[in-house]
Amino acid sequence: MKRSVPLAIVMVGGILFMIQYFIPHQHSQTLFDYYTEWAPIVGAFALVLGVGSLTRLHSHKIKRKAKNWQYSYAVLIPLFGIPFFALIMPQSLGGGMMESMGGDRLTQGVFDFAYMNIQVPIQATMFSLLAFYIASAAFRAFRAKSALATVLLFAAIVVMLGQVPIGELIGKWFPKVGLWILRYPNLGAKRAIGLGVGFGVLATQLKIIFGVERNWLGGAGE
Amino acid sequence: MLKRVPAMLFALLLATGFAWAQAEDPPPAADSEETLSAEESEIAIDAAVFPGDGMIAPSNIVVSDWPNDAGDALLVTFDPGSETENDSFIGYTIYRRIQGTEEFQKVGLTELNEGTSFVDGYDPDFVVEPGVQYEYMVAATYLSGAEVSSEVTVAQEVASGQLYHSGKTRVLLGCIIFLGLILFYFYAAQRGVEMYLRPIAGIEAIDEAIGRATEMGKPILYVPGLSTISDVATIASITILGRVAKKVAEYGTPLLVPNRDPIVYTIAEETVKQGYMEAGRPDAFDKDSVFFLTQSQFAFVAGVNGIMMREKPATNFYLGMFWAESLILAETGSLSGAIQIAGTDAVTQLPFFITTCDYTLIGEELYAASAYLGREPKQLGSIKGQDACKGIIMAIITLGLLLSLTDLIAGTETLNWLKNIVTMPVVD
Amino acid sequence: MSIWEKMLNLDRRWIFLLIGIACVVPFFTPLGLPILPSQEVVSIYDYMENLTTDNAIFVGFDFDPGTAAENMPMGVAVLRHAFARHIPVFITAYGPLGQGMAAMALDEITDEESDDYYVYVNWEDWASIREQGITDRAGIEEAWIAAGNTLSENAHGWVFEGRDVAFLGYLPYFHLVILGMSSSIASQYPTDIGGTPLEEMPMYQEHKSLRDIDLAVTTAGSSACVAWITYGREKIGLPVAFGVTAVMATDYYIYIQSGQIIGQMGGLRGAAEYETLLLRDGYTKSPGKAFVGMDVQSIAHLLIIFLVVLGNIAFFAGGFNKKTKLKGRR
Repeated sequence: MKRSVPLAIVMVGGILFMIQYFIPHQHSQTLFDYYTEWAPIVGAFALVLGVGSLTRLHSHKIKRKAKNWQYSYAVLIPLFGIPFFALIMPQSLGGGMMESMGGDRLTQGVFDFAYMNIQVPIQATMFSLLAFYIASAAFRAFRAKSALATVLLFAAIVVMLGQVPIGELIGKWFPKVGLWILRYPNLGAKRAIGLGVGFGVLATQLKIIFGVERNWLGGAGE
Repeated sequence: MLKRVPAMLFALLLATGFAWAQAEDPPPAADSEETLSAEESEIAIDAAVFPGDGMIAPSNIVVSDWPNDAGDALLVTFDPGSETENDSFIGYTIYRRIQGTEEFQKVGLTELNEGTSFVDGYDPDFVVEPGVQYEYMVAATYLSGAEVSSEVTVAQEVASGQLYHSGKTRVLLGCIIFLGLILFYFYAAQRGVEMYLRPIAGIEAIDEAIGRATEMGKPILYVPGLSTISDVATIASITILGRVAKKVAEYGTPLLVPNRDPIVYTIAEETVKQGYMEAGRPDAFDKDSVFFLTQSQFAFVAGVNGIMMREKPATNFYLGMFWAESLILAETGSLSGAIQIAGTDAVTQLPFFITTCDYTLIGEELYAASAYLGREPKQLGSIKGQDACKGIIMAIITLGLLLSLTDLIAGTETLNWLKNIVTMPVVD
Repeated sequence: MSIWEKMLNLDRRWIFLLIGIACVVPFFTPLGLPILPSQEVVSIYDYMENLTTDNAIFVGFDFDPGTAAENMPMGVAVLRHAFARHIPVFITAYGPLGQGMAAMALDEITDEESDDYYVYVNWEDWASIREQGITDRAGIEEAWIAAGNTLSENAHGWVFEGRDVAFLGYLPYFHLVILGMSSSIASQYPTDIGGTPLEEMPMYQEHKSLRDIDLAVTTAGSSACVAWITYGREKIGLPVAFGVTAVMATDYYIYIQSGQIIGQMGGLRGAAEYETLLLRDGYTKSPGKAFVGMDVQSIAHLLIIFLVVLGNIAFFAGGFNKKTKLKGRR
């Protein structure tokens, strides 16, 4: 049961929606509308599982006084604190969310405060690490070890210079050649990989529909 | 928008043809056609100016079913009156009512440049119901608000949904060919036809990487991508996770599987548990080894990077779908001195993984992993099927190249012929 | 260990330090290098130039704070362009954090301390004009001025909520939301984020579904932008334009070539190009944040090229091209 019911649902659903794509009739549309209404509901329930996992993991850490257990409080308190505030004081979410809409930054809500002063700077910091890491990775990896690697190296330099205004000052042709590389050789390579990926997706989906691939069932698959 | 023109022209052609056929020999349905007098329609519309004022109203309203839809649209076409010569003319107002009711609803206003056709049913406030008989009236509308109305016409057709979308025939053919090929190889492999699969270094290195972690007594980090389970890359990653979990259970090496998607988390947990059971060590499975971190992209990266720097795993696997965070993950892993195996179908992230990881599964190699690891005949067959599909695409590309060369030399337009076969306009 | 080997095994923290300096210094000594707009950006700009107050666009803030440095200037530039031309804008977000990004963009545009700002007129503030039955853009502005409202010197104009802009915000499973909006926008968003019913807004009355929308600009840091193609462009022919991070930009050239998107702003460069066009045509008085950021990018790119060249010199001068492997498997 644990195995055959999900497999049957996937097989029927997979084939049904494959056919549904070709049928514009109102009944077919109704079926699709049902699906679009159900998908978010299923997703919402899954989030409960995720929150449960996170809570379990960190409460275990606190209980066991595992290494760096204090940080687990930093996860659990906001995890439950924000929804709590949202339920008892909904206004704390909006606060001065939008100055432009007549709000006032001085009366910021809890959510807005956390968003502006914690989430935005932290996420921006994480993403900006890319600049540092790209430089370090380029220094270590970009070597003209072979003829092909040399071509790649020169292409990279031309594209990098073509993307910034200083490149144009160095040579007028940098942006043009850089764009040409992006528009043609880059696209050719991308399409080749993309086609392979596309057919891979098609084959995998067929394998799932016909029950050849069962790992998505988790442990029940074997 | 341009791509809808052929469909609209086709519909117009249909409507015109229908009107012509009616003029020649009115069909029996015309008996029930009711044309209300101008006086009667005046009940519904205020401030209307009628043909009696010396202006010719729009006429010859033809209503036809909009093709390839769920029975929720009708195409209304009509002939213009004398309004086009008037400078204060602003467009046509379309009125509609259900046959047998009194009141007309204003369902649309066409702009000057929109011609004399209107698709009714797109306005969410005035939906067209399938199978309902409607009556239409078109009024030429002037800047002052004055309107010159046509006669009321009973719609010649009612809206109906179609059972097959004729605009998708090319997709259907493509599906039949490609799905057929893959299925053919599925069953060829099952019948025992020998199939060769080239060695993929990244997959072969998996066991070696697990062994290294075991020797060092350090954990293994496995990131199954940041996407949802509907992403095929995630499914492929879960397959490899099952294999890794089994090996890890056999060797008694700790495993860490952080997740970004709650559904993927539940599946990953089940998969790892099953791996431990298959290895005969269900008691060794630690529930905390598979966990959900957060749904936020960069917060997830911060979490995983923290794990790498604190726990110092000996081996990192990044298999699945990754976006801008790929380099941040892999470079941090490289900093921590771990051996790294990555695999993704996100083309833009591949260079980052290739430069920072020891082995990288490129694009479809990730999907091939389950076939490679399992060696099941059907799985191998699917890989061969994909190759056959790629063969067809290569043949089409080569044909396109030859045709474009021919066009270049002979000045012909043969490439357009191929383009028309393989491309599809917006169809809905 | 020879000097070349030392150079190759250079502690990466030195590289981080150099990049840090290269990123900070240009902010204090701006170079103001000229930017030549590319065809991909010009086509979006020209498309917008052909739209009027009778049209309407969607601007999707489909990114998280992480990629705001690149995506935010794009969103701000398109909003500025739309507000200047009185093109109604529906603002949406693919993710929950994107809604905050959109709010920040609106705050930036309506910041009274900037050189180029717009005065935001709340829905309630112009209720009396609506009660008179005036709903066309020119009529509203005329009545607003007649009521004694004036613009300060730095202000470019007024933005009337419900006429020029509707802030719809975030909804979960946004790809399904796009699908639903192809029938009716109000079926997905009965109200804007402030609780104003969409049905009452004049801009909604003229543009009830995505079929009535003339352009959707999605500024995205993930594959969220593709949802607009799959469910907007391919289903109902909605014209779509992308604003994506530089890393992702190379991925989406295929959509330009196939004609599925009308243009693309790629990374900070794309945003700076749009800002340059706005400046050229007098929509703004001073260059935006992306334009300033391009100086940083110029210097950082030069530094990376220098490092790559240095690494190669050390690699060949030290004879490592003949040896098998270096420390760190490189």
